[in-house]
Amino acid sequence: MILSRLARSGRGGIALLVIGIFAALVLPWLIYPPVAMDIACWALFAAALDLLLGFTGLLSFGHAAFWGGSAYCTGVIALHGGLPFPVAILGGAAFAALLALPIGYLSVRLTGIYFAMVTLAFAQMLFFAANQWRSVTGGENGLQGIPRELFGLDLSDPFFFYYAGLPFVLIGLFAAWRIVRSPFGRVLVSIRDNPARARALGYPVERYRLLAFVLSAALSGTAGGVFAVGHGFAALDGLYWTTSGQVVMMVILGGIGTLWGGIIGAALVVQLQDFLATAGFEGIGIVTGSIFIVIVLLFRRGIWGTARHLLTREGRGGGAGGEPAGSPEPARAPASPRPAAGPDGAAAGGRY
Amino acid sequence: MLQQAFNGLVGGAFYALLALGLSVIFGMLGVVNLAHGAFYMLGAFGAFIALDSFGLNFWVSLALVPVLLGVAGAVVERLFVRRLTPLDPLYNFLFTFGLALILQDLMKREYGVNSQPYPRPPELSGTADLGLFTYPAYQVFVLAVSALVCGAVWLVLTRTRIGMIVRAATERPELTRALGIDVGRWVTPVFGFGIALAAFAGVLAAPMRAVNPLMGADLIITVFAVVVIGGLGSVFGSVTAGFAVGLVSALGNLYVPALSQTLVFILMAAVLLWRPAGLFGREEAFR
Amino acid sequence: MRITGWSGGLAAAALLLAGCGGGPGGGGGKISDGGIVLAVLNDQSGIYADTSGRGTVEAVKLAVEDYRAKYGDQAVAEKIDVVAADHQNKPEIANSKAQELYDRQHADVILDVPTSSAALAVATVAETKKKVFIDVGAATTELTGESCNKYTFHYGYNSYMLAHGTGSEVTKDGADSWYIVYPDYAFGQDMTETFSAAIEASGGTVVASDPTPFPNDNFSTFLLKAPGLDPKPKVLGTMHAGGDLINLVKQYNEYKLRDKGVDLALGLLALSDIHSLGPDALAGTRYTTMWVWSFDDQTRAWADRMRTKLGKRPTSNMAANYSAALQYLEAVQRAGTDNADEVVKQLEGRQIEDMFVRNGTIRAQDHLLVHDAYLAQVKPSSEVAEEWDYEKVVKTIPAAEAFPAQPDPACEL
Repeated sequence: MILSRLARSGRGGIALLVIGIFAALVLPWLIYPPVAMDIACWALFAAALDLLLGFTGLLSFGHAAFWGGSAYCTGVIALHGGLPFPVAILGGAAFAALLALPIGYLSVRLTGIYFAMVTLAFAQMLFFAANQWRSVTGGENGLQGIPRELFGLDLSDPFFFYYAGLPFVLIGLFAAWRIVRSPFGRVLVSIRDNPARARALGYPVERYRLLAFVLSAALSGTAGGVFAVGHGFAALDGLYWTTSGQVVMMVILGGIGTLWGGIIGAALVVQLQDFLATAGFEGIGIVTGSIFIVIVLLFRRGIWGTARHLLTREGRGGGAGGEPAGSPEPARAPASPRPAAGPDGAAAGGRY
Repeated sequence: MLQQAFNGLVGGAFYALLALGLSVIFGMLGVVNLAHGAFYMLGAFGAFIALDSFGLNFWVSLALVPVLLGVAGAVVERLFVRRLTPLDPLYNFLFTFGLALILQDLMKREYGVNSQPYPRPPELSGTADLGLFTYPAYQVFVLAVSALVCGAVWLVLTRTRIGMIVRAATERPELTRALGIDVGRWVTPVFGFGIALAAFAGVLAAPMRAVNPLMGADLIITVFAVVVIGGLGSVFGSVTAGFAVGLVSALGNLYVPALSQTLVFILMAAVLLWRPAGLFGREEAFR
Repeated sequence: MRITGWSGGLAAAALLLAGCGGGPGGGGGKISDGGIVLAVLNDQSGIYADTSGRGTVEAVKLAVEDYRAKYGDQAVAEKIDVVAADHQNKPEIANSKAQELYDRQHADVILDVPTSSAALAVATVAETKKKVFIDVGAATTELTGESCNKYTFHYGYNSYMLAHGTGSEVTKDGADSWYIVYPDYAFGQDMTETFSAAIEASGGTVVASDPTPFPNDNFSTFLLKAPGLDPKPKVLGTMHAGGDLINLVKQYNEYKLRDKGVDLALGLLALSDIHSLGPDALAGTRYTTMWVWSFDDQTRAWADRMRTKLGKRPTSNMAANYSAALQYLEAVQRAGTDNADEVVKQLEGRQIEDMFVRNGTIRAQDHLLVHDAYLAQVKPSSEVAEEWDYEKVVKTIPAAEAFPAQPDPACEL
């Protein structure tokens, strides 16, 4: 099979990259452009979260703070500052990174469920602050009418805006990909797998985690900013814990620690929501809930993780990779999330 | 003031019951049960259905519904949760979240999103004289019965052999196993018991709160905060934190209404930063 | 109007500069795309699913039936479709779906859209696509204020109507001192502002007003505080909706505040809420509504038709959507086309009288439907003649008083 060979060989990553970029470019021809934009934004958001969840081993349940916080900041810059939207988006991303600094500083000392809860707490505080601060955020009405033009060029047609927003998403995804392949990324993986050993080797674990947190927030902020400009508004919804929950689901659906998986998860969830909106089926939760359960019980590596696993196994004549076919799951890791990371930590950082 | 504090404790009673169940489950299985709110909701609906379709009154429901849902919980543990517990906690997190979504939407399809009527039991519709002030009898009953249940659970855990095994298994699972105690035997009953507590809280809520499919989802995030404040897996901690959070939010409503929504989260962040394992959590249980 | 598929994609690439957006329809023909499409965009799975949801779609279908029956062969539009979409209470889904409904499903009008952030997002879409949007479900006055536009109409009620009616009528009736509790978000805050102004204009005083968490299931703090205030308020006014309202009323009764001389008045009460609580829990409570199904023979006849479809009585929201759809079709009929600009011209300033609207005018300056509202009261169960017969109209609030007399100066169409 060609794909399996691609996935195995060193050039596989590049081939997949080309396919991915091509897919991103033709997406608005295939599906409705606003939906395509949503997929692109959520894909970057999911990749940003995966940077933290899959490669640093920290489950953030408060990433809505950065997505939604940046959305508001982007909106305020574009709406009140009158600056062109790319500047606004970068401003939003910078704001998210700044926000992540104190939150991350306080949270990275914790891990596992405690880290998740403390990030959730901060995100909820931000949610209530935005709800109260109506003069800036518009409260429950949202910040409406964010302009979508660039030097007099009207980009309000979602088809054109998709291509205006896509570079941000692609650059963001590229950055995430570079980060996990860099020496820095490898240190993150080793911290995830064994914090004690990393500490013993002299790595300042907390500082690495903090940097990963801030980078992840900046990328999430970029995604949130593009999303806000794309829709022309920022709403409280983006700061609510359900947004944090949704992006975590996307990453788990696609496969933790794979970057690409998050993108697939995002595409699936956004498309599903769009489909269910007009399907006339009153019970969106039944469908999404069932999908989660099926994934957890049968495809624990997520969609991308399972596909990659099958492909590489087939390519290697099965069973290779150090995993017996019957029990492909790593046991509960000491430092929390590291499921679909693959046979050994280093490989997880290597092949996409 | 005294009355307000009392009212805070009544609100805290629900937090305490739910947090207790969550905490016991987490301690024994290491599972963060996101479906806990859904079982609370099912408890309230159970009471409604018992009255509406079978004519069973509040008292019968209070005894019957928790048992039925506890059994249902045990079945869920046997069929699904068990297969996921040896793995990363994230999987059960996702599984229980999916389960919560399904349960919630099934009830929505059946009964709609509007609240269902449920009357107060006639025996408790009056006002109780508490000496210093009078208070609705039903609320006094809620506080008393939940304090009683929490106390009873505490007694069982500290004074009986079963309790000792459960506590040992919670705190030092490997050691307990090494001593030749079959920990696995107790996992299913404990899970079922935790669910039964949630259902019990749901039945108690039916006469005084809106019975609708979303009632659990609204509450569960706060209850998580409560459990984390008290210390995951700490039975004493979650009950104490439950009542404390009830008290704090009631007084917060009174004195700083603008902040009242965030108060519990501020409290949680502060506690976690000060004591990373929660107020009564043990560092060893910190995973 | 974008072509899907590979070949289509390549072919259309050449047309890229020509622009692919759906501009204003019509131009040549009278009815664009071969027919009229009415799109209902609302919450079919969340908290508003029972007050509007699928029931509203049925109501809009009734409007189409009635339009056909009235005009027969004379009807301008031969083919009329009703489509529906669920925005799941998420503004971004509302935003994308609205674009898709206008572009792909060729919707000529979007109806309902509850939740103010979603409604405002759809209003922006209507403006850029130059298509008609008639909002019923949202309460925010911003739709006809700062965010108003040429293609957006607000039909039925808004937070001003709900708060002003209850505030001034109950005060005039003698209950002149108030304690107000409201959910702490934009809707509640706006309602309280209007409410307080109305009370004071009618000679009453607001003793205190407190925000409550949202959502909230324990209102005891506020209920305990109420009778102890100085001076003791005669009425507790609340701005809550849905589950919060049910919680509050259940607890209000538990504290026996009515016996302690503190009455209850509500900003917002749906028929389904009374059904949930049982009429006795609310008996005597006053609130403002845009429609009551048992008002007269005309409303009853319509409610009977709806009951055969739904199995229960319709909500006022469904009635408003029926009327909005009917008036839209009438406007198309008069204009002789579904061209949005022509239809807007027909709607602006139009006097309306139908099953739902009494003494109504669609104000040309801000596109707000101004019509009679009602101060209603919940009947005790002894007066309830049949299931769902819980409301009686105490007083008709004339259109001029029910809505703000002057358009919001912030609105520039």
